[in-house]
Amino acid sequence: MTDRITPSMVAASTLTDLSSALGELQRSTNEMSSGRSILEPSDNPYGASRVIDLQSQLDGLTSYENNAQNGVSWASTAGSAMGSMNSSLQRVRELVLAAANGTSNQQDMETIAGQIEQLTEGIKQDANAQFAGEYIFSGTATTTPPYEQGANDEYQGNAETISRAVGPGASVAISTNISKLLGNGKEAGDGKLLDTLRTIAANLRSGNPAEIKEVATTNLKSLDTNMETLTDLQASSGAATDQLQTALSRNEDLQSTITETLSNTEDANIAQVSVNFANEQAAYQAALRASASIIQESLINFLQ
Amino acid sequence: MSIPTLQGLQTALSGLVAEQTAMDTTGNNIANANTEGYSRETALLEPNPPLDIPAISTLTGQGAQLGAGVTVANITRIRNVYLDSQYRAQNSALGGASAQTEELQQAQSAFNEPSDASVATGLSAFWTAWNNLADSPTSEAAKEAVAATGKQLASTINQLSAQLSQISGQVTEQVKALTGPGGEIENYATEIAQLNTQIKLSEEAGQQPNEELDRRDLLLDKLSALGNITVSEQPDHTDTVSFGDAAKPLVEAGKLNWPQAITEAAGGKLGALLGLNGPKGAITELQNGLDGVAETLANTVNAHIPAPAKPFFSGKTAATLAVAVTAAEVTASGGGAAGGNEVARAIANLRGGEAERGYAALVEKLGGYVQTAKNDQSNLQTTVTAINDQRQSVSGVSLDEEMTNLIAFQRGYQASARTLTVMDEMLETLIDHTGSGM
Repeated sequence: MTDRITPSMVAASTLTDLSSALGELQRSTNEMSSGRSILEPSDNPYGASRVIDLQSQLDGLTSYENNAQNGVSWASTAGSAMGSMNSSLQRVRELVLAAANGTSNQQDMETIAGQIEQLTEGIKQDANAQFAGEYIFSGTATTTPPYEQGANDEYQGNAETISRAVGPGASVAISTNISKLLGNGKEAGDGKLLDTLRTIAANLRSGNPAEIKEVATTNLKSLDTNMETLTDLQASSGAATDQLQTALSRNEDLQSTITETLSNTEDANIAQVSVNFANEQAAYQAALRASASIIQESLINFLQ
Repeated sequence: MSIPTLQGLQTALSGLVAEQTAMDTTGNNIANANTEGYSRETALLEPNPPLDIPAISTLTGQGAQLGAGVTVANITRIRNVYLDSQYRAQNSALGGASAQTEELQQAQSAFNEPSDASVATGLSAFWTAWNNLADSPTSEAAKEAVAATGKQLASTINQLSAQLSQISGQVTEQVKALTGPGGEIENYATEIAQLNTQIKLSEEAGQQPNEELDRRDLLLDKLSALGNITVSEQPDHTDTVSFGDAAKPLVEAGKLNWPQAITEAAGGKLGALLGLNGPKGAITELQNGLDGVAETLANTVNAHIPAPAKPFFSGKTAATLAVAVTAAEVTASGGGAAGGNEVARAIANLRGGEAERGYAALVEKLGGYVQTAKNDQSNLQTTVTAINDQRQSVSGVSLDEEMTNLIAFQRGYQASARTLTVMDEMLETLIDHTGSGM
């Protein structure tokens, strides 16, 4: 405690108090107008670095969400293409059975072969399905259609897989290797779908009873095997979709958790700040009033 | 009768002169009430040597002493030198903390965190661009975005590095300005040396050089903000001033030893500035930290780009980091097939990795530096204000007190004048009314 008080001491301390009161008022105003409690790293060094980390995590989750949604759309395009192949194959199977029931003449056989060839073209067209301008059944050679229309049945894509990142270090393979189903055609003799379909058509057209008979036996059997392969591919594409959906819902939970943490770390508590602001304003006004009246008074006012 | 007849007049006169001097001193105090560095002064009054009245002159036969009025022994300034040395020690620390806060806050503004135009948002946007490329590896737009966000990120880091260099340059300039010829230190020291000489002469002449002493103390206060100072008063009333960690005293009597080698151990503003730029200084650490982030970023991203593709980043420091590829040369895959995305995925997966953590740690460090400097500054400001209040309590001019004194001295003057009148009337009686009827 000081014993002598001089006007310059009063003036200096009044000025310090006023400027610190005004400083607090300014701080609260900034917090309210920005909605943030961390305006610069020095306000809360750990919090500031945490905000960088959380914000980046949140951006990452948004990316993963986009990836998973993109993957779901990709898989759904693949799914409908394979669904269309499946209906075509059902139709082929009906035609093969019709041809095999023994009542058809060679003319009918030719017609059926023609229909099967058309369906084959349709299946190849299904295999050339595109998503966002990329061929989805070409492996990573997404700019090349997997099959050319017409006689060439050779697979133009590659066996690489395409994945979508759905979490830090977690990814889901979304591509389907269609060559496992379609194969490389009759020349390759690989027993895959295109080979089977071309063989059926050729056998039907041959007019040779032995070969026609083969259609209903060996060929039908390999057709059934091919259809099983298609079912397998559909199942694994469906599984990928499930994985992506699971990732999406997990991502949503994480996003809301991190958003909440981020908000707790960097957002101003508006209720609290408003109360502080009102208090500081009252304190500042009181300080102004007091300073204005104290500094005017001195002994000189009362001396005659 | 051995008391001189006119003694009473002399006594009354001495009262008039003394009260006038006291009033003049008070007037000077009031005039300087708001003068920086002024210490209030007081006229020290002393009784004059008394008049001896010999033993035979009194009724009792014993001698006596008759007071012979008052004299002004001295006009002294009221000041506490211990408070001065406390003030200067804390003021040095405050000078240092203020300089640090000022520079580090500039660095903090340069980092611009948190905002939409910072390195952190740049990094995040960069990872997002790679991630989008992974979703559509053949898209030209996605490649453009990767190259553009990469360039944006590199230029944000380049700018930040340039700003840190600029701050470091400013610090060097300030040190030069303070220590160079015509700088604050030299100016203060030169004046202190001159004042030493004048004070010595005045003291030798038996005078009290209050104004010179105040001025010297004020200059020492100002000098203390620039570096630690030790002041030792010599028997001849000159001050020997040591400054910072300089080998020789800055001022010895009328002599100046400047320039001298100074390190960051000097304390005060100068020490703080030298410290900021020193090998372990905050600005250096921030610059090195940013270089580390740039190098890690370049290395981790480039590590995922398979040969023979060109590395994405060139330059390994914050100042030289640049995107080395065009949008067309951005590779999403190493296999060569258009739709591959493993490279893009791997790079997008660097999000939250070493570079980002390094940067977040750097921001935390920066925040810590600024917070500490600000807290130091605010605490020291409180201490310095408290000590200065104590000094003001001793040395400051209180107008109420001066007005009270003024009244007291005025009344004293009036009373002395009244005494003079009475003495005059007494002499009049003696001169005019004795002997005329005889």
